[in-house]
Amino acid sequence: MGEVSFETSAYAKIILHAAKYPHCAVNGVLLADGTKVRDSAKTQDLDIVDTVPLFHHSHYLSPMAEVALTQIDTVAQADNRVIAGYYAACENFRDNTVEKCPGQKIAEKIVENFPSAVFIVVDNKKVMQHLETPAIKIHKYCDGKWKLIDTNKLLFQTPYVLETVSHLLQSGVQRDLVDFDNYLDDLSQDWTNLGIEKVVASINASNTVDCKEKDY
Amino acid sequence: MSYNYEELSLSEIIDLMRQWRENNERKSEDIMELWLNVLETNLNNYGNEKYVLLEQIIYAALDCHQYGVANALIYLLSMEFPGSLRVMRYKSALLEAEEKYDEALNILDSIIKADETNAAARKRRVAVLKAQGHINEAIKELADYLKKFMSDVEAWQELCELYLQVQEYGRAAFCAEELILHQPHNHLMHQRLADIRYTMGGVENMELAKTYYCQTLKLNPDNIRALLGLFLVANNLVGHYKSSGSSKRKEAWKLAQWAQSKTAAKQREAQSTASPNLADMMLSLSLAE
Repeated sequence: MGEVSFETSAYAKIILHAAKYPHCAVNGVLLADGTKVRDSAKTQDLDIVDTVPLFHHSHYLSPMAEVALTQIDTVAQADNRVIAGYYAACENFRDNTVEKCPGQKIAEKIVENFPSAVFIVVDNKKVMQHLETPAIKIHKYCDGKWKLIDTNKLLFQTPYVLETVSHLLQSGVQRDLVDFDNYLDDLSQDWTNLGIEKVVASINASNTVDCKEKDY
Repeated sequence: MSYNYEELSLSEIIDLMRQWRENNERKSEDIMELWLNVLETNLNNYGNEKYVLLEQIIYAALDCHQYGVANALIYLLSMEFPGSLRVMRYKSALLEAEEKYDEALNILDSIIKADETNAAARKRRVAVLKAQGHINEAIKELADYLKKFMSDVEAWQELCELYLQVQEYGRAAFCAEELILHQPHNHLMHQRLADIRYTMGGVENMELAKTYYCQTLKLNPDNIRALLGLFLVANNLVGHYKSSGSSKRKEAWKLAQWAQSKTAAKQREAQSTASPNLADMMLSLSLAE
């Protein structure tokens, strides 16, 4: 119980966001499929279907965070999704703990509304162009603290996820990622990152073809 | 965006690099790609910008962990300019990148000893402390620096950032005020102070935030963050003045309406069919009030 599974594009956006701004702290929220979750349960399997990259500067100021979260909530409700977690990467390369991350208040607020929420910290040292591990650490809220949970609770929906995301990093797709800060700078940008989702979907499609060929 | 190196001439590349330098763009990966493909083989044909270009490449190389490249270039420059403090600074930067912080600090200290007015070396010391995660020490060092070099806008900005990081909003607000004094026509400075005041909360701070957001919009009507901020502030004030039913409440209400309609107009202008509509978000916020 208590497993966390990721869609490829949801995971990809976390890593791409960290890669786009290697010199900044970044953060964002995780969205889960609302039809599958039970509101009150403390431990349940989470299926993260999407992530929204939020900010890469001004982390300690609240107004734009309020705007972003309200808007994401509105959009998520319309799609029957719930905000089920928070992710962040630290500015300092060596920091990979919850305490050093920006926006812990946001994460606590998410837990208030959704008790089985997770806090994901990007493990800076493990992010590389050829990902060998998922490079993220998952935490659950337990007795007022974020507790690290075992990496084997992390599942992916499709095969070859690390290879796919490595491929995206190598081809520089992170430059096309749009976070909420980019959106506030230029309203014509798309913070839902449909473009990246499409790229990931097409890679996934060709991956599954490969799998089938191998079976024969 | 990748570049077709075959299509770019050396002079075009040098122009491109100048453009990045002048705009303060940190295109380290691109610079390294250009270095590997074109610049390395043309080392003697850079023209009169040679040394600034080398400096730019050194910092890009450090960014991309290409210490070999950086080291070779630093050696080249140190042969050309023996005893130059600027070259010494590259050496300390290399040590810093390699996380040999104590050695880097030693070099920086000797630069400062040789030239007391060397602002860059002093600021680098702050950066080393920050890299080591000693935020409070970095703040102390930077505050000391600002006592000597009080017109350094960048440094005030960084100090503001650091104070925010340790949640000292009052002091961060002071730095933001200082920034406004230095650059009264920069809308971003006003917006920053407004953001800080809003984060601090309370009626008084909200009133201040309102004023500064308005000033931001006066300076730059296209600042979306200020428009949204003003909307939040006005909504908040409507809540605060609930009981008094006074003119203040009416005014805040009007401001909120104004910000809402302006934002909607901006969104239409941007034609952002891609991103979800801000108006829905605003509606859900004002219903909450």
